[in-house]
Amino acid sequence: MAASVPAAAEQYDYEIIKKFVVMAIVWAVVGMLVGVYIASELAWPFLNFDIPYITFGRFRPVHTGAVIFGFGGSALFATSYYVVQRTCQARLWGGGLVPFTFWGWQAIIVLAAISYVTGYSQGREYAEMEWPIDILIEIVWVCYMMIYIGTLMKRKQPHIYVANWFYLSFILATALLHTFNNLAVPVGLFTMKSYSLFSGVQDAMTQWWYGHNAVGFFLTAAFLGMMYYFVPKHAGRPVYSYRLSIVHFWALSFMYMWVGTHHLHWTALPDWASTLGATFSIMLLLPSWGGMINGIMTLSGAWDKLRTDYVMRFMIVALSFYGMSTFEGPLMSLKDVNALSHYTDWTVGHVHSGALGWVAMISFGSLYHMIPRLWNTKLFSDKLVGVHFWLATIGVLLYITAMWISGISQGLMWRAFDDFGNLQYSFVESVAAMHPFYAMRAIGGMFFLSGMCVMAYNAYRTIRQGVRAGVAGQTAAAAA
Amino acid sequence: MAENVQNQGPQTTGHVWDDTLQEYNNPLPAWWIYGFYATIVFAVVYWLIYPSWPIGKGFLPGVFGNITYTNAEGQNESWHWNTRAKLLRETQEAAVMQKPYFDKLASLPFDKISKDPELSSFVTSAGKPLFADNCAACHQSGGGGKIGSYPNLADDNWIYGGSYEKIQETITKGRHGYMPPFAEALDAGQIKALASYVLSLSGNHADAALAAQGKDLFHSNTAACFYCHGDDAKGRQDIGSANLTDKVWLWANVPGAADDAGKLAEVEKVITGGLSKGVMPTWEGRLNQEQIKLLTVYVHELGGGK
Repeated sequence: MAASVPAAAEQYDYEIIKKFVVMAIVWAVVGMLVGVYIASELAWPFLNFDIPYITFGRFRPVHTGAVIFGFGGSALFATSYYVVQRTCQARLWGGGLVPFTFWGWQAIIVLAAISYVTGYSQGREYAEMEWPIDILIEIVWVCYMMIYIGTLMKRKQPHIYVANWFYLSFILATALLHTFNNLAVPVGLFTMKSYSLFSGVQDAMTQWWYGHNAVGFFLTAAFLGMMYYFVPKHAGRPVYSYRLSIVHFWALSFMYMWVGTHHLHWTALPDWASTLGATFSIMLLLPSWGGMINGIMTLSGAWDKLRTDYVMRFMIVALSFYGMSTFEGPLMSLKDVNALSHYTDWTVGHVHSGALGWVAMISFGSLYHMIPRLWNTKLFSDKLVGVHFWLATIGVLLYITAMWISGISQGLMWRAFDDFGNLQYSFVESVAAMHPFYAMRAIGGMFFLSGMCVMAYNAYRTIRQGVRAGVAGQTAAAAA
Repeated sequence: MAENVQNQGPQTTGHVWDDTLQEYNNPLPAWWIYGFYATIVFAVVYWLIYPSWPIGKGFLPGVFGNITYTNAEGQNESWHWNTRAKLLRETQEAAVMQKPYFDKLASLPFDKISKDPELSSFVTSAGKPLFADNCAACHQSGGGGKIGSYPNLADDNWIYGGSYEKIQETITKGRHGYMPPFAEALDAGQIKALASYVLSLSGNHADAALAAQGKDLFHSNTAACFYCHGDDAKGRQDIGSANLTDKVWLWANVPGAADDAGKLAEVEKVITGGLSKGVMPTWEGRLNQEQIKLLTVYVHELGGGK
């Protein structure tokens, strides 16, 4: 192993991966900090301080942008570049395009955050970036796709490993979604403002076709790609079933594209369209679970490692949350369940059980696996990984429990009538009733954030240790 | 390790990536594949129950047929089953329950409404969410108002009158309070004198000499305060000018001031800058007549209506 790592470092482009790893951690800390702040604003509104730049409305897309595209995106760039090189035994194709994807992507996150704080937004959830930033995303993304396909084409392996199918479908689908959802006419060449090409319910449907597939391909398929490499690699065991991976890959890719309309139940969207969204969501359950089964069954036989290996614990807990939230999602997509859950905090809790429980946890596991290998050293502290694991797990559980209670209470309060036929509660009463759960949610977020800070410290010490050993090794070699 | 597994367990596909990555060729778990089929059956059933696949210019209609109900006006309405119609039916069912009470409310004069116990409890029940959704954003839940911004509706003090008719007029048409700024008409010393006089009117401690000077100014044509606030400084409800002799403060935060100097500064600020932010929007067109009448009674009961 010790001999193969320096060789791998020469054979593969690790520099780009290291950059993305560092930025994934930076954006995770920043994004989660903003998340904790806006959660606290909801619980304790004085935190707005009457400063428009830091109000919930502007900070919320900063939070989602930093965690999804900053943390999640950088983690996906890092792991996909790592996985595609190692499973193809080929160095990244693309030359200067490769560092461009790094600098371009980081510029996008920064520009987006600045534009939100100063009040520029398309008002499309997870696609709030205005048109100039959208164009930059398009360019970076096409470069990413070319690099990925270029590397796959020059592979020295006859077969393409399963993780790469998932990454490739994520890259392709994200390109399609981003392009069509952001078709807009700018007001002028030197203005940030633009108007969507679509209007009314078509506009809403395009947005949610994008919105749910951002969840489906960016936050699910791509992270399944991550899972398919790092879980078997870290466990040292073969993937449980090749057949299952094929069947669930195609079923998942096909089903996801249909389900966006379940975000528009009980709206102006015609019911036939919302019915289709609901049913494809139900049919998506088992294809989603295919990934969970393959991950958990791969770990079975290595259960003993769970007692000592916190990296593996991150992976198994991630898979468990993935299974839970992909069960909850189809349930919420049924018309009558949705009548209760729509517009409530239940949705927010659902998103976070996926985002914190699945996406963040599987990324933590993968990053902990990758960092020592990239810098050719050992993790600074396994104990701190354990501390991170418990802080993160407690954080997620507090968060989603708070949102279940507050979401279901909201749903019930909003629909309650008294004996006269009057609404039993005013909206503001439901807001007041949420306060303890908003505080609980903020505290859950603080747990998760402090875990993230522990990881950042651990990663910093690991990298420093690796860099110093590398310098010492070079000096020794030069002296000899 | 990998070889051992190969020999004992199921077969792998035979490919190896990145030194150690392999895949077993296990069959699909039976529960998984049957579970998947079950969700497809569920979907097909759901398609038959609800409106689903578009065909030509129509779509599969579902089994529910039409949603029919009688609305609060007594007309029958019928829609092909859709979730919006389901919501309409539910709200109309509630409206039908409310209708007799609203009708009774519309037919009775104000003073009879509060004497009818059943109607009173309807007013309390319907008024609470109506008030909270429409009024509480400014007047606060409970109607306590906020010094410096919004009048208290839960006390005995009424700027534009506390009779049923006046409250109804306020809600229907809205109000716009105005006091001109005196920064140019008066100098700082005169404003200080006036402020001292105004404070003394409600029993606050004030410099007696200054207050006396202020009293003269108040009734002079230089400041002409008496013109709106009246000779007795008790205000005029017909134009919404404030009663300066009571201890109720809306714009100058006298109760919140730390000391006499602070109180003086608060009143000076109002005289100097005047007021034009006392705007209550009109609710005509946003609420119907019965809702406004109901809110009138609710607000009247909230404080000491007159």
